[in-house]
Amino acid sequence: MSTQTTVELAVWEALASVPDPEIPAVSVVDMGMIKRVDVDGSNVRVTVLPTFTGCPAIPVIKQDVGEAVAGVEDVDTVEVETTFHPPWTTDRITEQGRANLKAFGLAPPTGRGPVLITEIGLPKRAECPFCNSTNTHNENPFGPTPCRALYYCDDCSQPFEQFKPV
Amino acid sequence: MSEHSKSLAALLLAYGDDELVLGHRHSEWTGFAPHIEEDVAFSSIAQDEIGHAANLFMLLARLTDDDADRIALSRNASQYRNAIICERPNGDWAYTLARHWLYDVADDIRLGALERSAHAELAQLATKMRREERYHLIHADMWMKRVAHGPVEGRTRLETGLSSASTEALGLFEPIELEDEAVNEGWLPVPSTELKSAFVERTNGFLDDLGLPTEVRQDLDESAEFVASSSGDLIASSEQSDEQPAGPTGLGGRAGTHTSDFEQLWGEMTKTYQAHPGASW
Repeated sequence: MSTQTTVELAVWEALASVPDPEIPAVSVVDMGMIKRVDVDGSNVRVTVLPTFTGCPAIPVIKQDVGEAVAGVEDVDTVEVETTFHPPWTTDRITEQGRANLKAFGLAPPTGRGPVLITEIGLPKRAECPFCNSTNTHNENPFGPTPCRALYYCDDCSQPFEQFKPV
Repeated sequence: MSEHSKSLAALLLAYGDDELVLGHRHSEWTGFAPHIEEDVAFSSIAQDEIGHAANLFMLLARLTDDDADRIALSRNASQYRNAIICERPNGDWAYTLARHWLYDVADDIRLGALERSAHAELAQLATKMRREERYHLIHADMWMKRVAHGPVEGRTRLETGLSSASTEALGLFEPIELEDEAVNEGWLPVPSTELKSAFVERTNGFLDDLGLPTEVRQDLDESAEFVASSSGDLIASSEQSDEQPAGPTGLGGRAGTHTSDFEQLWGEMTKTYQAHPGASW
C-alpha cells in the first residue's frame, strides 16, 4: 500500500471520530459532510459540505476537522474548505448515521434517495424514535436548530424532533 | 474590483440586505410570538435568513476584499439596499404573516433565477438556499390557509395585513443598481421586471384559491405597476410609524432611500458592532 493511500485512510479514520457539534452521536463522516479528502505528500485538504447554510456550527466543524487531521501521522499541513456544490442533502447520511440519530432520540429523515426540491417537505407521520409508532403529527416545521422539525407521538405521548429532509 | 464585477456586487448587496433586515425583524418575535410554536418558527426562519445574508456577504467580501461582518454592520443607514417592505415593523402578527408569505414567494422566484447565474458560486449558493427556503414556504402557505379559512377575526386581520404588505411587496422587484449590466453579464439571468411578473401571477393564483377579496389582489396586479394606489393604506400595517413611506409603493430601498422605521432597526441592529468595531464573537 502506498504511503499516500495509508495517509488518506488514516485521515478518514480520524474524521470518523469527529462529532457533529450539535448532534454529537453522529460523526461528520456519517452525516455525509465530507465531500472529499485530497492527499498530496504530507499536505491534506478536506472539503466539507455544510448541512445548512445558516448553521452556526460550521466554524466549529472546520476547526474540529482541522485539528483531528493535524493529529494524523505523516500529515504536515491541513486545509479545510467548504463548498455548497453539490448541496448537502439528507440522503448523504449513512445507515450508521441514521441508526445513531435514532438512538440519540432524533427521528432520521424520511426517504432514502435524492430528494427533488419539489419533494422537500414534512412527512405527515414521522416515525417516533422512542416507540417506533407512526401515529404521530407535526407540531412545527421548525425546531431548536435549522435542521430539525417538531413532532408529537400520539401513542407514547412524547414530543420528538425529526431531522428535516432537505 | 473589476468594472464588470460592480453589478455583481450591487446584486449581492441588495439581496443580502433584504435577508439581513427581514431576518432581523423576524427575530423580534423571539419570546413575543402569539403562540410558542411560532416563537420557535420565526426564530428559526430569522436564523436562516441571516445565515443566507452572511453567505451572500461572504461572496461580496471576497469580491471587494472586505469582511462580511463589516459589510453587514458598519454601513450608514443610507448605504443599505433592502426593499422597504423588509424594514417595516412587525405590527400585527397577521401583517408579519402576510409579509413573510409575500417575501418567501418572491425569494423563491429570484433564487430559482439565480440558480442559473453565470457566477458559479452564487448559483451553487442559490441552489442550496432554495432547498432550505422550501420550509419557509411550507410554513407561510400553511398559516395563510389556516387563517384564511379560520374564524372571521383572523381572516379580517389577515386581509388588513395583506392589503398593507402587498402594496409594498413590488418594491422587492425594483431594479437593482447596474441591473442592465448584471443581466448582460448573466449574474442575474432574469431581469427584475420578469421576476415581478412571475411573482404577480403566482401570488394572485394563491390568493384566488383562498377566495381573498379582490381589493387585496389589485395591489398586486401588474397594471398597478409602480404607481401609487391608495396611499393612505400604506402605513396601516405599521401603527408605530408616524411617517409616510418613502415611495408610493414601497420603492426607493434599492437606491438607499429608507423610512424612519429603518433608522430604528438600523440603530438596534448595529449598536454592538458600532460600540466595538471589528470585535469578533
